[in-house]
Amino acid sequence: MRHDPDMTRGARTLHPDWREDDHLIAILARNARDHPRGVAMRERDHGIWHETTWPAYLDRVLALAAGLEAQGIGAGDVVLITGDNRPALYVALLSLATLRAIPSPAFSDSRPEELLGQMEREGIAVAIVEDQEQVDKLQSVRDRRGELRTILYDDPRGLDGSAPEGARSIADVAAEGRRRLEAEAGLREDLLARPSVFDVAVLMHSSGTTGAPKGIPLRHGHLLSGVRNAARAGYFHEGEEHMAYLPMAWIGDYSFSVAAALELRFTVNVPENQETALHDLREIAPTLYFASPRAWSAMLTRIQVGIAETAGLKRRLYDHFMPFAIERERRRLRGEAPGLASRIWYGLGDAMIYGPIRDRLGLRRVERPYTAGEAIGEDVFLYFRALGLNLRQFYGQTENCALAVAQSKEDISLTTVGRPFPGVDARIDGSGEILLKSENIFDGYWDNAEATAESLQDGWLHTGDAGEFAEDGQLVVLGRLSEVQHKADGTRFIPTYLENRLKFAAAIRDVCVIGADRPFLAAIVCIDFDAVGQWAQERGLSYTSYAELSQMPQVIELVGERIAELNRAVPDSLVIRRFINLHKEFDPDDGEVTRTRKVRRKVIDENYADIIAAIYDRAETVEHEARITYEDGRTGTLRRRLSIGDIDGEG
Amino acid sequence: MFYRLSGIHHTGYASAHRLWSVPADRWQVVAVLALALLAPLFVSDLYLGSYVLPWLVWSAAALSLSLLMGLAGQLHFGYAAVMAIGAYTSIHLAQAGVPFALAILGAGLTSAVIGTLFGAAALRVKGLYLVMATLAMQYLVDWVIVNVPAISGGAQATLRTPDVTFLGLPVETLSQRYYFALAWAVLLALFFMNVKRTSFGRALIAIRDKDFAAAVIGVDPFRFKLMAFLTSSFVGGVTGAVLAFCYYRAVTPEQFSFNVSIQLVAMVLVGGLGSVIGGFLGAGFVLLLPIILTNAIADLGASGWIDLSQNLMAHLPLIFYGAMIIGFLLFEPLGLAKIYDNVRKYFLVWPFRHSGS
Repeated sequence: MRHDPDMTRGARTLHPDWREDDHLIAILARNARDHPRGVAMRERDHGIWHETTWPAYLDRVLALAAGLEAQGIGAGDVVLITGDNRPALYVALLSLATLRAIPSPAFSDSRPEELLGQMEREGIAVAIVEDQEQVDKLQSVRDRRGELRTILYDDPRGLDGSAPEGARSIADVAAEGRRRLEAEAGLREDLLARPSVFDVAVLMHSSGTTGAPKGIPLRHGHLLSGVRNAARAGYFHEGEEHMAYLPMAWIGDYSFSVAAALELRFTVNVPENQETALHDLREIAPTLYFASPRAWSAMLTRIQVGIAETAGLKRRLYDHFMPFAIERERRRLRGEAPGLASRIWYGLGDAMIYGPIRDRLGLRRVERPYTAGEAIGEDVFLYFRALGLNLRQFYGQTENCALAVAQSKEDISLTTVGRPFPGVDARIDGSGEILLKSENIFDGYWDNAEATAESLQDGWLHTGDAGEFAEDGQLVVLGRLSEVQHKADGTRFIPTYLENRLKFAAAIRDVCVIGADRPFLAAIVCIDFDAVGQWAQERGLSYTSYAELSQMPQVIELVGERIAELNRAVPDSLVIRRFINLHKEFDPDDGEVTRTRKVRRKVIDENYADIIAAIYDRAETVEHEARITYEDGRTGTLRRRLSIGDIDGEG
Repeated sequence: MFYRLSGIHHTGYASAHRLWSVPADRWQVVAVLALALLAPLFVSDLYLGSYVLPWLVWSAAALSLSLLMGLAGQLHFGYAAVMAIGAYTSIHLAQAGVPFALAILGAGLTSAVIGTLFGAAALRVKGLYLVMATLAMQYLVDWVIVNVPAISGGAQATLRTPDVTFLGLPVETLSQRYYFALAWAVLLALFFMNVKRTSFGRALIAIRDKDFAAAVIGVDPFRFKLMAFLTSSFVGGVTGAVLAFCYYRAVTPEQFSFNVSIQLVAMVLVGGLGSVIGGFLGAGFVLLLPIILTNAIADLGASGWIDLSQNLMAHLPLIFYGAMIIGFLLFEPLGLAKIYDNVRKYFLVWPFRHSGS
């Protein structure tokens, strides 16, 4: 299905300040002209980082664009893109933008049904994917999606000679495009002249914690003004080394690895694969690094597990210098400037402990480490700041290219997310919702006027987040407005608020707090296998699996202590009384969490109805029949006896 | 603590195979080289001439032998004879008026030819039998040198090295001789490291690990064993010439006796088979430790704290020396190079225990 070719009609009146020829492809061409030797991209292949210069990048984009055009793709076509980060897929994003077609990225671990839904909603007939795995997924739903005529893949392994009908390799199509470019004089200039700043550069999607994901079309102009606002705030610098390891279907990756990378000439480094991303990160030592609070927390756990294995001098130095730095950082955040002695001692610690740990993590050259998405734990935040990383939080949604509010270098605080970028207006409306207005806020959802009318009013984006301004003008995000729940006695609580604070404990990886219309709060806990496994090893407790580990009385006690700690810190009405250690982790394949690991409460209520019933029946144990979805889509059941823990204490 | 490994990435295979890809290692090499180059400025002539200079030359000798024993796995207990051939050839050629550079080349070639002849035995025999074959070489060469006056100038004779210039640079004063020996040691170390990362070196290692397995994967043991003897004997011969001209300045047959062969084997084993750093450390250990021990025990005796008989004073250093060799081999059978490697790795993974975390 081809969409309205003049899809930009409304945009011109909405954005009178945008210049027609100020789009991503023009910027790519400018970089290729002005920096013929600049490295635009590095891809790790069998341990060797292959470099692509700006002119080579432009050539690849144009060749693929010419090839895609020969495949019948033109303005307004929506094209599915899925796979892990690969240069060929980034090239494809830009090639499609050149043709004024609309790339619609999907998470690489999406289930076939999710892809089918996306294709149906957006009328997709062409898919550009990474490898055989993705081709097979598409192939499995092809009988229900006859319109899907072409699948292009990057990695030919497992597909050479056995590719299904309509599947071709990207390299083939690009080669054809290259021949076209040679044969047809003027095609190159013609291609470069096609796009406009008002074109939709990419069609992102909301995470869909409730219902189907909504399409979020972002224009060149949105992305560029977002990046420029962020650059003006000192958030990005020119020529950063950047690691492209975040899912390509997440707006952050597009903003960082494509829009900002083009505008500010980043070198985008693509890891060999997802499993080696951390190792490859160390080889590159980027200057800009973004990770979710979860990833930072996982990194901290990794360090702690590593340190737990050391002994002797290393251990003693760490045990001295790390608490010293954390205490020092705590005071600094309180506004106390460290004295000379403290500075000298910190310098010593930096040479012996902090520097080597930063080096080990591959963050030695990072000047701008960021986190966003959800609240970050105080421990984690303090730890990395104490390590000498100027870790900062930012706040944004897909709807505004994830670039809206960030902490500045000077005033860092744990509770706030910072100030709006220059060019971004923020206010709090009567119901306590955060509203944002700026040039980088989208113009409306894909084919969903109802949702658009709900979230875009007079140019103000209704974020759905509850927030307030702190005394110094910084924004504080409290949680999702829609997530406010009430206990049976009518007390208000925001589950995510409690969950995030519980997840700061190393032992807890995921947790879902329940208690809507119930007499008390309870928690379904997924332990962190690495951290608790290490903990058990140190105590000589043997276990064979996640399920067995989670049901050990000692582990239940450990988790109980963590929850009791939180209980002491919150008002009596928010105390969690009972909890259960789940025999497995929440899995996006079971629909329990989204791909970005946000809890889907409805699904959990449904999947674990028997467990929840047992918790409120005051049972000691529960026999749970688990439905398991295997990676290949088959399902099975598993019967397990789980014990329920009680938290002692008054109240 | 000192190593920073992040940011090291390779954009091509050439860079992936470079020596010292870790910056800290590069700085270490630069620092050691700078110290070595400046040594004549801050080391007294006595120490330079009688400790540092012989250390360099013997390190070169240990490296030459390590090429054969460490890389190709061929035992050689007559390596002093190889060096003797080089030393005598170079002196005779120099005395005959051949330019020093050519004389050194001739020394290497002669050693290579004779060494390879005996090494050919290695194609038939292995292990202890090869030790016997190379021992035979040691005694045969000794015998020939002593009994052919044309070579040694007579059984008791001492041949003095003539004053020479190497490509126009005189090799006479102590610092000139020191720099010459340093240049050779550095060249040999670089050669050794490069051999290890070429197909030749890998072939040798394959043969060391199992020669028939190497043959199965297409490495011709016949050819590569001969080439190992050829290369090692060539550099051994040159080292013999450097030893004669830079350090001894006069040669007698005893300087290349069986003891010396055993000492060389000790250097290679204590240092660590097939390791460049091991070559230097092993030579330092075997050469300098007895001297240090003797001095230390003499000082101890002189201080009067302990009453030592003259007899005990003479033997104590040997007792300690023997105990230390046994101790080192028990503690770390892979030699000093392995100890260095362990220390390096301790700091490489600092502050963690291993590289996995």
